[in-house]
Amino acid sequence: MSGISRREILRAGAVGSALLAGQAIASPLGGPRMMPASMDRDVFAAALKDLRAIVGVDWVFADETSTASYKKSFIPDPLGQHIPSGAVAPASVEEVQAILKVANRYKLPLWPVSTGKNMGYGMATPASSGQMILDLKRMNKIIHVDAELGTALVEPGVTYQDMHDYLEAHNLPYWLDVPTVGPIVSMLGNTLERGVGYTPYGDHFFFQCGMEVVLADGSILKTGMGSVKDSTTWQAFKWGYGPYLDGLFTQSNFGVVTKLGMWLMPKPPAYKAFMVRHPNPEDIAAITDTIRPFRMSNLIPNGVLIMGAAYQLAMFHRRDEFWKEPGSIPDEVVKREAAKRGLGMWNTYFALYGTDEIIGAIEPIVRRAFEASGGEVMTAAEMTGNPWFEHHQTLMRGGMTLEEIGIVRWRGNGGGMVAFAPVAPAKGEEPKGQTALAKEIMGKYNFDYAPAYAVGGRELHHIIFLMFDKSDPEQEKRADACMAEMITRFGEKGWCAYRSAVSTMDLVAQQYGQTNREVNARLKQALDPNHIIAPGKQGIA
Amino acid sequence: MKVAPRRVLPAAIALGLAAMLSMTALRAAQASDAAPPRAPDTIYAKTCGYCHGHNVGPVIRGRALPAEAIEMIVRHGQGAMPAFKPTEISPAELSALAKWIAASKADSKEHGQ
Repeated sequence: MSGISRREILRAGAVGSALLAGQAIASPLGGPRMMPASMDRDVFAAALKDLRAIVGVDWVFADETSTASYKKSFIPDPLGQHIPSGAVAPASVEEVQAILKVANRYKLPLWPVSTGKNMGYGMATPASSGQMILDLKRMNKIIHVDAELGTALVEPGVTYQDMHDYLEAHNLPYWLDVPTVGPIVSMLGNTLERGVGYTPYGDHFFFQCGMEVVLADGSILKTGMGSVKDSTTWQAFKWGYGPYLDGLFTQSNFGVVTKLGMWLMPKPPAYKAFMVRHPNPEDIAAITDTIRPFRMSNLIPNGVLIMGAAYQLAMFHRRDEFWKEPGSIPDEVVKREAAKRGLGMWNTYFALYGTDEIIGAIEPIVRRAFEASGGEVMTAAEMTGNPWFEHHQTLMRGGMTLEEIGIVRWRGNGGGMVAFAPVAPAKGEEPKGQTALAKEIMGKYNFDYAPAYAVGGRELHHIIFLMFDKSDPEQEKRADACMAEMITRFGEKGWCAYRSAVSTMDLVAQQYGQTNREVNARLKQALDPNHIIAPGKQGIA
Repeated sequence: MKVAPRRVLPAAIALGLAAMLSMTALRAAQASDAAPPRAPDTIYAKTCGYCHGHNVGPVIRGRALPAEAIEMIVRHGQGAMPAFKPTEISPAELSALAKWIAASKADSKEHGQ
């Protein structure tokens, strides 16, 4: 354990602050200064001097104190393999170009982040220690919102909160689609990671339209219609002409994306949220088979969430309220505590959008199907005031909430969490098999299975949150080992992650095969021959 | 797979000087674009208050918490709290926010965990 609690720091005030600073220096992150790999100290100092000349002395961070914010992450990193050497924060595309010139000159690896709030996957930390964070948060302009087309063009630092405030201030009839931690997360960053949300616009990359990319050599690519002289269609038409390039710059290190176009969902005249409770762990198969035809036909149009009871409890409670033993929390305890709070073992949240007439016509069809699957169908009429229902009702209309951060302290104040997100086809036996395998492996490591299935058109993102106490080194090591075994054993069954933490990017990339890796390597060599942009991102050197 | 060698050109250091001169003018032009600092209550409502006093984090208003400790925790992200970088909450904003929280009165509508 760390030996210094937050309570002690608060009580001690400035003295406590100094203790915490001292603790940081004494931690595995301290000691000799973290340096870019294979770079001499004087060369790094020269690179920093050049970077300061570009962005100003206030926006280069390279000492122990000023880089503290960039080191913070919830994921296990027992060997300290994801520690940045510093950060540089440009305010413009021109500064990004100038920084890339410096990086090429010194072979300085840069890890771009937008807001660095990639919560379950490593925050702002890089795939390998020593990389310098290219922090794009200062580029935070909402460049354009087209009130008629419902399109937006934003810079990396624009959060969902920023856009939410903009739409309200300008009284524009559009909704956002947010990830679970929308207020502090970049729209551009989440979309590039191919994150998901919970309205009908839940597949963020699907609703992206046009981007501006600074390539490693400083040239600027505008994708889609953006390169056409005097184009008026950059945010209106995704595909452009010739090969579709946007995908190359998502979950990738082929360039630095500095602008992103998005489509906004017209605010519907009516909206109704539903929650379906199922009582048993094995019900996941019936739930999946019930949802599939509705998602394929778009009768249920939104990004549906099937929330496991342990995940729901962890949002607002701590483990030791229910279970003090080291082994995984038993299903019967989870079921009992969930039931006390109006929750089932699985809680499926979906919504209908349109007019009262449309919703009135669809609701009985959907209700009958879910009731036939053994579920109880609930709405605001029964669930108003229930904090879980209210939370998901907010998410499914693109509202602002950070309540799911609560899961990070399930195992203790130290805070620790990493997500493993294998994809399953939307056929009942497959998620049932994934759930059984995850529970077996997590049980072996004494962790609690806390899942959320995010339902797409024909698949489910099975997001398994491994919650641990990062202030306990033994738990951190165990979490790291558990994650590696889950990735490996799921992979043996053909189930692979759609995204991964910085600590497992290479492991997951191996599962996608050698040809895939070689094509990525050839693209990387062509676009970034000095490998200065995010080496190791998604396993691409 | 090919991996580029990480060698550094000795002449590279000198080449940086020309870029430095042109960037100074660029930075001066951008300085006027910088947004004014946001008020503490705005930052609290749009960042802190989503967790603190709202089921997730502990209540922090009305407790006379030391401002220095608040600043330290915001930057380090103690425990289950994310860290907030100087690009998200500027040093001037954080200083004012910490003092504001330290001096704030309790809000009976808030509830913590």
